[in-house]
Amino acid sequence: MSELGEADFGLTTFFARSHPNDKCGANGLPLTPNSIKILGRFEHLKTISHENLCKYIDIQRGKHERLLVVTEHYQQTLKNVAKSGKYSVEENLVTLAYEIVKGLAYLNKRGITHRNLSQENILFNKKGKVKLSEYGLYYMTEYGANVAFPIGHPQYLSPEVLCEYPVQYDEHSESEPSVLTPTGPKSDVWSLGLILLEVLTGEEFWGDLTMPQTFFKILSFVNSDIHPLDAISKDLDIESQVKTLSRDFMDFLRKCLSASPMDRANPTELMDHSLFRDLRQKNSKTKNGHRLFSSDLRSLDLELPVLGQNGYNKDYNEDHLSLRTMEEVYYLWQLAGGELFGALKREGLVKTKPPIHLLPYYSTLDGEVFGQRRDQAELLDGTIITLSQEQLRKRLSEIDETAYYPLLEDENSQVTTNLPSSPSNSDISETASLPLVIREKDVEYQFHRIILYERLIKGYPYKKSHIWREARVDIPPHVRAHVWAAILEVEGDIYARYDSIDKETPTNTDRQIEVDIPRCHQYHELLSSPSAHAKFKRVLKAWVVSHPQYVYWQGLDSLSAPFLALNFNNEALAYSCLSAFIPKYLHNFFLKDNSQVIQEYLAVFSHLITFHDPELSNHLEGIGFIPDLYAIPWFLTMFAHAFPIHKLVHLWDTLLLGNSSFPLCIGVAILRQFRDRLLTYGFNECILMFSDMPEIDIQRCVQDSIKIFCSTPKSATFRQHAREPNKPGTSSSRPNISYYSRDYNEQPKSELSMEPVKVEELKTEKCCRISAEDLIEMGELCGPSSSKSPTKRKPNSRPMIIVIDIRNPEDYAKGAIPGSINIPFPSAFSPEGDLNPCAAVNVLNQNKQQVKVIVGSRGKNANNFAADLVRLGYHKVCVLHKGIDVLRSTNILTVPPADYF
Amino acid sequence: MAGRTGAQRPNGATQGKICQFKLVLLGESAVGKSSLVLRFVKGQFHEYQESTIGAAFLTQTVCLDDTTVKFEIWDTAGQERYHSLAPMYYRGAQAAIVVYDITNQDTFGRAKNWVKELQRQASPNIVIALAGNKSDLAQKRMVEYEEAQAYAEENSLLFMETSAKTAMNVNDIFLAIAKKLPKNEGGGPAPSRPGGVNLNSQQTQQSEGGCCK
Repeated sequence: MSELGEADFGLTTFFARSHPNDKCGANGLPLTPNSIKILGRFEHLKTISHENLCKYIDIQRGKHERLLVVTEHYQQTLKNVAKSGKYSVEENLVTLAYEIVKGLAYLNKRGITHRNLSQENILFNKKGKVKLSEYGLYYMTEYGANVAFPIGHPQYLSPEVLCEYPVQYDEHSESEPSVLTPTGPKSDVWSLGLILLEVLTGEEFWGDLTMPQTFFKILSFVNSDIHPLDAISKDLDIESQVKTLSRDFMDFLRKCLSASPMDRANPTELMDHSLFRDLRQKNSKTKNGHRLFSSDLRSLDLELPVLGQNGYNKDYNEDHLSLRTMEEVYYLWQLAGGELFGALKREGLVKTKPPIHLLPYYSTLDGEVFGQRRDQAELLDGTIITLSQEQLRKRLSEIDETAYYPLLEDENSQVTTNLPSSPSNSDISETASLPLVIREKDVEYQFHRIILYERLIKGYPYKKSHIWREARVDIPPHVRAHVWAAILEVEGDIYARYDSIDKETPTNTDRQIEVDIPRCHQYHELLSSPSAHAKFKRVLKAWVVSHPQYVYWQGLDSLSAPFLALNFNNEALAYSCLSAFIPKYLHNFFLKDNSQVIQEYLAVFSHLITFHDPELSNHLEGIGFIPDLYAIPWFLTMFAHAFPIHKLVHLWDTLLLGNSSFPLCIGVAILRQFRDRLLTYGFNECILMFSDMPEIDIQRCVQDSIKIFCSTPKSATFRQHAREPNKPGTSSSRPNISYYSRDYNEQPKSELSMEPVKVEELKTEKCCRISAEDLIEMGELCGPSSSKSPTKRKPNSRPMIIVIDIRNPEDYAKGAIPGSINIPFPSAFSPEGDLNPCAAVNVLNQNKQQVKVIVGSRGKNANNFAADLVRLGYHKVCVLHKGIDVLRSTNILTVPPADYF
Repeated sequence: MAGRTGAQRPNGATQGKICQFKLVLLGESAVGKSSLVLRFVKGQFHEYQESTIGAAFLTQTVCLDDTTVKFEIWDTAGQERYHSLAPMYYRGAQAAIVVYDITNQDTFGRAKNWVKELQRQASPNIVIALAGNKSDLAQKRMVEYEEAQAYAEENSLLFMETSAKTAMNVNDIFLAIAKKLPKNEGGGPAPSRPGGVNLNSQQTQQSEGGCCK
């Protein structure tokens, strides 16, 4: 992560080569637009971070294959600086060479060739340090294959590069043009040699030659016996200046300017050149900070500044924003109204040409065209626009400087307030109550949230519980990737783990994975790029290979998509999140035979619909619209197959905080949102509706599912196939995460708990079962103090439940649950199916909002009674698991007061 | 939309009888089952049609002389693993389209297996059509037309090469099926519930009615 410092944001634009219309690839699908390919490859450039390189920050696609690239930028170029004659002094020249070589060597190590080095793109920051820019163009365009213009400055091109050109594209061939043989990093060394000579002499070489003459000159070195350095010195009459150089430097230049790449050094070799002996020693510096999710010792190299020493006080930086990372500032810049296209237009870089000017003069019947002049816009325009940070700084100007360094712990209380207040905005927590879409666009709010989270993430895993607490408020998009990983409790050296997995050896799931990936979330620009497809494949293969007990089910691709989109440059983290997510929410869903698991899940889902919306449940069951027909893709992919990623992330922000039963509540919330339509629909309309998921208000869905979750007794969603509790001891390492996020299976079990029920039996039942524990807790039968549920009830309000005892009055009189009412089943319903009026029924009707727990003895009576109540439209009906007998061992049962009868 | 003759809904035409048929699509994944249905039902083609998980359902009506034929189309997931779900979709189906990809020999082999399974386990009178999809990619052909046709004749299947992308033969294959389906039972053997599949065949559907059991 590099800090902004005094960098500007520079914007450049260029066009990708467009494909001829209607051309298809080998698989019959349209060719991937070149701009998309570039987009995918660009992501790798974002990970390039080095003190002598400008950082690549963002790329966006415009119309007609236009690309806009945002980079770290400085105004000072080598071309300007060299004019001062500074580099006629060898010492300065050595430093310059060293810093450039360092940058190139790093690129070399990361598999990138610059190919574009020139005096204009060797920049200097305010401290005079070299910052190379534009080094990614060759890489991101797939070595020039994706653009219609050549890359590289003619006079600096090395002989071997010129030997390769020009390449003819066959526009009419079926296949895509093969990728050019990429030039190696040694071509950069040639350019470097020439540039050093130029700045030494203060002359621009071959400036008066035409391009073919220049190329001829360069190529003439190839078959010559004279070393190019000597030839150039002689040719340009600079021998006297070259002679003043030290022997070391001459040797260095010779190594750079060898005509054959075989004799030329590569940047990494140049690093070890004796010329840099002194500089290398100075450069051994320690590094602070560590990489998240690694097993490195995080304080190993830590160097803390000491107050009053080393000019620490002098270094105090008033500009706090400059200490934030470039990515973060850029993100805020966009929120503060920064917009790339606007900037382009203002600078007059968007040139439009009337379409009629683009018509060819002559066209044959075969579609061949002649006399179409090349559109100048397709060529590379070197203009770099500096994006003004003024607006952002203005927006943030009134923020107190302490806001940049929020305290996570307070002396007085363990829990500090979530949201700092700021003088400019009387209270940030006011913003927190606004809808999420507004919060996500509010630059000041996001600023506070990002800073807070960034601190918390640095403290992960120790700050885990604090992260959980904040995530309940919201998760800023900018930090979502890491926050999700933290919530999923990804820990340890994920990189080593991922690296050790064999992702290459062919397996028999490869074909399936390969046909699924090109149609998985392809509306997403990044995910439709070839780079993404390769990553998809590796992550999926890694998961399948490392989970031999499971298999690849279609849907796993959708499930991995959000993690990959968020962690595009961090496959290991994407994989780790996926691997943590699946056991948490989809335990055993990917078994080869998962039918029991899914059937149980769907049965519980049916019960939940009935519990919360009997009317809807009655209707859907009446028309035969059962969850098996529509909800399998929902749950198998945790809605990743049903919603686009930008909506899904908001759903998952909350889903991740809930336990494994929470997704069931989301399912109910979705049905709820379409309730009115569903109630009027027949079978066909219903199923058609969900075959193509209609627009949904995802925020409302999230709110509804939380409400549904909180009003569902915990044991009602019990599933025997849910994940077994962690081994004792391991779970205690978790922080005190909320009541809601704990799974039912993780609670201690007793004879009052739920126990497995056969799927077949579950499916015959209409209502859910609840455990005796839940009954006791919700009915407060052991006194209110024992309540574990955080749902606080106002004192003197009615209990949450009403217990309906359906045994015959004799049994009831012998001992019943305190407060329960008795509606004996045999006489409860009239022949028409209505409840026969009696005192108990009146009580029931007065307590319609309460959870109704039907208590019977053995047999099916309780279930049937419950089903009848549902038929009559009573909601929140459930059945006590195992009936009254389960309570015999407790001391709860009492003889009802005599006046009850 | 071009090339959709015959697949239009009748304009308020009330003459003739209405038949309802359940049709299921089977075949290896990514051969174009969902694309065929989408082309037939909505006249659309999505280059990046998402994979089907479980199954999808759509309906379309075609007119045949004086009969209106309503297809209830079950589009199944192609992955072999979802095979165990398939019987619940083809059970009770009056027609099936088994799809393969003409550029992939393996998918043709898989199609043959589906045909075998249908002949063995589906309703005895089921009308089976074989569709060699992606005929727009004829230059990449791996399954010869003659080979597939001979196989279809042997097994008395309807056979066409189709292209969901260009719409070639898409309506035709559905129409051919509609023609072949028996329409003499007074509206066809309409299912007990509209299009529903009984997923719990062992369980009776009597939860309605309200009487106490």
